[in-house]
Amino acid sequence: MSAVLDFPVSSAAKPETRPYLDVFDDSALEPQWLRQARRHGVTRFAELGFPTRRSESWRYLDLQSLQQKPLLPTVPEREAHQAAARTQLAGLELPERGARLAILDGRFAPEISRIDGLPADVWFGATSRATAERPELSRELAEDMPGDTAHPFAALNAAFFADGFVLDIAAGVTLDEPIEIVHLASGIEPRSYHTRSIIRIGEGSRATILETYTGNGRYWRNDIVAVHLAAGAELSRAVLVEEGSEAVHLAEVDATLNADARFSGFALLLGGGTVRHEVSVRFAGEGARCHLDGAFVVSGREEANIVTNVDHQVPHGETRELIKGVAAGRAHGAFQGKITVREHAQKVDAHQLSRNLILGQRAVIDTKPELEIYADDVKCSHGASVGELDETALFYLRSRGIPDAEARHMLIEGFLREPVEAIAEPALRDYLLRRLARRLEKLEE
Amino acid sequence: MMLEIKNLHARLSDGREILKGVDLSVGDSEVHAIMGPNGSGKSTLAAVLAGRDGYEVTEGSVTYRGRDLFAMPADARAREGVFLAFQYPVEIPGVNNMYFLRAALNAQRRNRGEPELDAGQFLRVVREKLKTLDIGDDLLQRAVNVGFSGGEKKRNEIFQMAVLEPRLAILDETDSGLDIDALRVVARGVNGLRAPDRSIVLITHYKRLLDYIEPDRVHVLQDGRIVQSGDKELAAELERRGYGTFGEQPELAGSA
Repeated sequence: MSAVLDFPVSSAAKPETRPYLDVFDDSALEPQWLRQARRHGVTRFAELGFPTRRSESWRYLDLQSLQQKPLLPTVPEREAHQAAARTQLAGLELPERGARLAILDGRFAPEISRIDGLPADVWFGATSRATAERPELSRELAEDMPGDTAHPFAALNAAFFADGFVLDIAAGVTLDEPIEIVHLASGIEPRSYHTRSIIRIGEGSRATILETYTGNGRYWRNDIVAVHLAAGAELSRAVLVEEGSEAVHLAEVDATLNADARFSGFALLLGGGTVRHEVSVRFAGEGARCHLDGAFVVSGREEANIVTNVDHQVPHGETRELIKGVAAGRAHGAFQGKITVREHAQKVDAHQLSRNLILGQRAVIDTKPELEIYADDVKCSHGASVGELDETALFYLRSRGIPDAEARHMLIEGFLREPVEAIAEPALRDYLLRRLARRLEKLEE
Repeated sequence: MMLEIKNLHARLSDGREILKGVDLSVGDSEVHAIMGPNGSGKSTLAAVLAGRDGYEVTEGSVTYRGRDLFAMPADARAREGVFLAFQYPVEIPGVNNMYFLRAALNAQRRNRGEPELDAGQFLRVVREKLKTLDIGDDLLQRAVNVGFSGGEKKRNEIFQMAVLEPRLAILDETDSGLDIDALRVVARGVNGLRAPDRSIVLITHYKRLLDYIEPDRVHVLQDGRIVQSGDKELAAELERRGYGTFGEQPELAGSA
């Protein structure tokens, strides 16, 4: 198929994509390469259509309501609700240690951001600004994202992304304080926000990032982040998802690890109607290490998926995954994790563990850890469990006078703390533990 | 009267009857030892008193300080001052020992209408107890019983008991599997707790613990009933004769 079709897109377009094709407009004053990339994206989305539950990677997520009631990426007619945004921001009670970049309704919000004060060899700013100031990075972001051809929503994102952030750290820089990225949705209109970001950490550099997502009302957030770690670079990225109960949150992270790089990708999914957090990691250099830890809590009718794909393409890599899930009410949680070890990738050490807790009769958790190993000299393992609250432990707590509800909360929190406590940065760890405790206080079993 | 058990019958959820008419009265400030062979119903009695699920009381009554014990759920019993030291303390990953114990103490204080202790106030209470019990404070920062040795788990039970200061402490084979040092810690904890308004029930298989804690009364539990009661001399007699003789000659039961 040709890269660019004449518009409107051919009649082969999947019908559910039609509303999105109808609002596609590439007449904006953007560079030719970006317009080209957008056309390519919309064409690809039209071909792929929405993923169905027959698609293995999407089988645990119900996207029917999104398909039936499209959330379009049109520019809102009214100004974003600034007061609501400030309330949301305050409600996150962020550690506020380092720089902060806020994205409101899919666009950079300078009035609630604080992005100066970083060292000179760090470029940090909105994707929209990078298009002019750092076109080489923007081109990479628009044209070279690995998921764009395979993932329908990555292709849709390529067509419509309005903003995001770029963090580019030169070699040999250590950022002491965590950088905060805040994604807000003011709930002014039901629509979709497509954001696209890139994090590049130079050789031997180190950074910590906290990305938080929250909002009001009905919206669809479609977020893509590319991570490039140069040789010996270290990135710890923690994600906190506290989206609104009607929100759809689909996020994809693509990370490339060069020799001896260290990547810690942590995700804490605490709220949102439909949440999917996907991380793909490619080991491109020897001796790199990656930790993909996370936890989700779902209740009511919420859905959350954590999806990990780790590709060991070279020898001497190490992967650790610990994902914990709790589902209550009529909620549905799922973990799908795949670790691939290529034929020449000897001496890889990869372990994956998914542990889950179901509260009540109607909650469901699916877990599907998967190893695909083509090398013969590797150390790999995976494990999964789905269980209920330990009655013996519950009785132990109650036998000390702790009321039943409080005892249950202590056990649930104790279960979920393990992956959070593994976060190295104390301020970040304590922050996420506080958010977790706050979520569990309101958990309706 | 601290505890009055009358004609207590209890069975497991599979229908097996374990307690077949236990009668026992424990007065204020008294220390009672309940001894008996394996399978006699000792741990079932402790579990039923503490309110563990999986047991059904089919007959009889238990009155605790004038109130019907069975009218209270397990956590309410604990807040009213009943404490069970577990034979097999439970490991609870992710729950910090200090945090757990402060929640327990504060639940009790709320129940009594007293203000809750903050972390600093609680730490002062704890430090003092640790000193008198000769327990290291490394236990505090670990998850409840996780990775504890057998002896550490039992010490942790005694430490919890010391902090919670129960009215009625029931120790279910706390001495089993302990070396002599740990046994001394347990004994020191129990003896330190003896007070006019407090009673202690020691459930044990062996006389050894009673060399360190002198009981006011000793009872023999056999096949779900108390078959003999006496003073501390009864424990010595049991040690000499073994439990077998009591089982073979139940008619002796009333003679002591």
